Amino acid sequence: MTTVQVSHVSKSFGNVKAVQDVSFEVYPGEVFGLLGPNGAGKTTTIRMILDIFRPDGGEVTIFDGKLTEEKKNRIGYMPEERGLYKDLKLEPTLIFLATLKGLDEATARARLGSWLERFDLQDYRQQKVQNLSKGMQQKAQLIATLLHDPDLLVVDEPFAGLDPLNTRLVKDIIEELRQQGKTVIMSAHQMHQVEALCNRIVLIDHGRNVLYGEVDKIKRDFAGNALTIEGQGDFTNLPGVLEARHHNGTWSLTLGTGVDSQDVLRAIMRRDGVKLERFEIAEPSLEDIFVTVVQRAEQEEATYA
Amino acid sequence: MHSLWLIAKHEYLKIVQKKSFLVGTLWMPAMIIIVMVVSILATLGQRGSLPLGYVDYTGLLRDTVTLPSGEDGRAPVAIQALPDEDAARAALEAGEIQAYYVVPADYVQSGNVQLVYLNRRPGEVAQDDFRSFLCANLLVEHPADIQQRMVEGASITFRSSDGSQEIESGNVLDFMVPYITTFFFIFAVMNSGSYMLQAITDEKENRTIEVLATSVRPGELIGGKAVGLMSVGLTQLGIWLLTGVLALFVASFFMTEVQEVRIPWALLGVVALFFLPAYALTAGMMTAVGGMVSDLRQGQQITGILNMFFVLPLFFITLIMAKPNSPLIVALTLFPTTAFVTITMRWAVTTVPLWQLGLSWVLLVASATASVRVATRIFRLGMLHYGQSLRVKTLITLLRTERP
Repeated sequence: MTTVQVSHVSKSFGNVKAVQDVSFEVYPGEVFGLLGPNGAGKTTTIRMILDIFRPDGGEVTIFDGKLTEEKKNRIGYMPEERGLYKDLKLEPTLIFLATLKGLDEATARARLGSWLERFDLQDYRQQKVQNLSKGMQQKAQLIATLLHDPDLLVVDEPFAGLDPLNTRLVKDIIEELRQQGKTVIMSAHQMHQVEALCNRIVLIDHGRNVLYGEVDKIKRDFAGNALTIEGQGDFTNLPGVLEARHHNGTWSLTLGTGVDSQDVLRAIMRRDGVKLERFEIAEPSLEDIFVTVVQRAEQEEATYA
Repeated sequence: MHSLWLIAKHEYLKIVQKKSFLVGTLWMPAMIIIVMVVSILATLGQRGSLPLGYVDYTGLLRDTVTLPSGEDGRAPVAIQALPDEDAARAALEAGEIQAYYVVPADYVQSGNVQLVYLNRRPGEVAQDDFRSFLCANLLVEHPADIQQRMVEGASITFRSSDGSQEIESGNVLDFMVPYITTFFFIFAVMNSGSYMLQAITDEKENRTIEVLATSVRPGELIGGKAVGLMSVGLTQLGIWLLTGVLALFVASFFMTEVQEVRIPWALLGVVALFFLPAYALTAGMMTAVGGMVSDLRQGQQITGILNMFFVLPLFFITLIMAKPNSPLIVALTLFPTTAFVTITMRWAVTTVPLWQLGLSWVLLVASATASVRVATRIFRLGMLHYGQSLRVKTLITLLRTERP
């Protein structure tokens, strides 16, 4: 049984192929990451899941079937850019959106109080949305997504505009939802923000699936492809290293496929003026993995060409 | 269906709470009240509380001649004879009279009379009373009914050139209401059209539409907006109508002309029948435009052209007055966007045949229903092409090929 099944969907806008043959499944009770850089096709994929866009090809099923009006009430959706009426007051807006999801006004009002308190927005309930800060609007939008207690949450870039404290709060809430057995599909371009939360991910680039599966397994598969190095000297342009990043005195090296870390070590030791203080096989971040996968694909394409 | 009412309620409250709506709706009653108060004050001040004096050098005038009540039903101003101009001046300066007339010896030949006052000239009604007094004195040998007729003047009936419409002089509303209604309708349609367009484009721009589309059917969304908008129109119309009726009611205590006014219920019935579908047609057209364009400015350019289809009969006003049953005017009566304005304007000068009213209404309701349905599809297709404007050619292709 799947909560969402996306099978070979494609969508073009004129000559632009926004999504090409993307497939993945989302299971009940998991937090699923829809990851990729800006413009990768994540939002288009979400819009196809929610029937805002119709795919040119492929199929989407939700709760084991087509999206019906009844099923819409089981879904909470937060678009990337805040979907709230700017010129209306916060409380009536949130209550209106909740009633459209099948909640009666009294229940919506009762539930709203605790959410506003949790997001520290209770003093702004009679403020117009446009008078709230970007972060507050983001929190208000999250309340609109959660108020009717949906079984499936689809949140597009949920951490955009949030400060670290509120980012922590939203992560806690998503974790609570997972514990309650809710399904969460979360899109993000800043992969480090979601990798700890997600059970499974699909990584999209240029509208195509580039990686799909359990986060732990993916990381295990790509372990050894990244090194953490500390020391003095030049660690760039090493053979077999796709990318070398220097941050706070530490070098993060992303290795090409099949490159042995011991060969890299030997190459470092052969360099003049290098003093090695730390050499560690790192667990790669999703960003590292993404870079590896994309560069590998580019190399393969170049070879094929 | 429940969602449709929720959206209708939401749209209604959203619009009626806007300052622009309050200003747009209340300026009309405010104007009516101002005009009414000014008219009443003017009427009350016209006669003045002091008598009018006169110095008669003809020897024809007598105080004993009784003046009939004025047109407003109130007692005419008291008219007092004075022996000479010195006495008249003294009375005027003492504040015993508001002014005095000097009627020269050759008045019957020349018709000249002199009015003397201090700072404030007597009002028109007081002057009319003195004219009536002169008239009654000249006709003193004639029977009372002749005197009465001369003082009151003729009762004129206005008849249209084809003889199909007659309006009595006392019932100006018969003539005025169609034009006032036309003006209200055009104002209301343009107002509501811009509200609808703004609502749709705002929702597209701030992405609320995505949240709504994942909550309700497009039909419920558009239907709800149309119902909300029609309720706004009815509220506006209701406020204007109520203020108009109240103004007439209050004015009737002060102005007898108003007492003679008959409310043209038949026309108001037709207005009530045509108003709602005309509103729905507007709502559908504006939704379609909102669905096609990517921002409000672009939409306003298109709606400027669409509004022309509603005000088109105004360009034919001369023809409507002269030949209200000509083929072109009948065509405008039947054409859905021009039906309302044409019918109300024709109402002032002719009797619109029942078959034309019926057919026009059926066509209007059918086109309103179709416009809301097509608008729903265009709106849906516009969403599929998010952030891009839909060209008419693309739209037609999509309407043929995309599944609803």
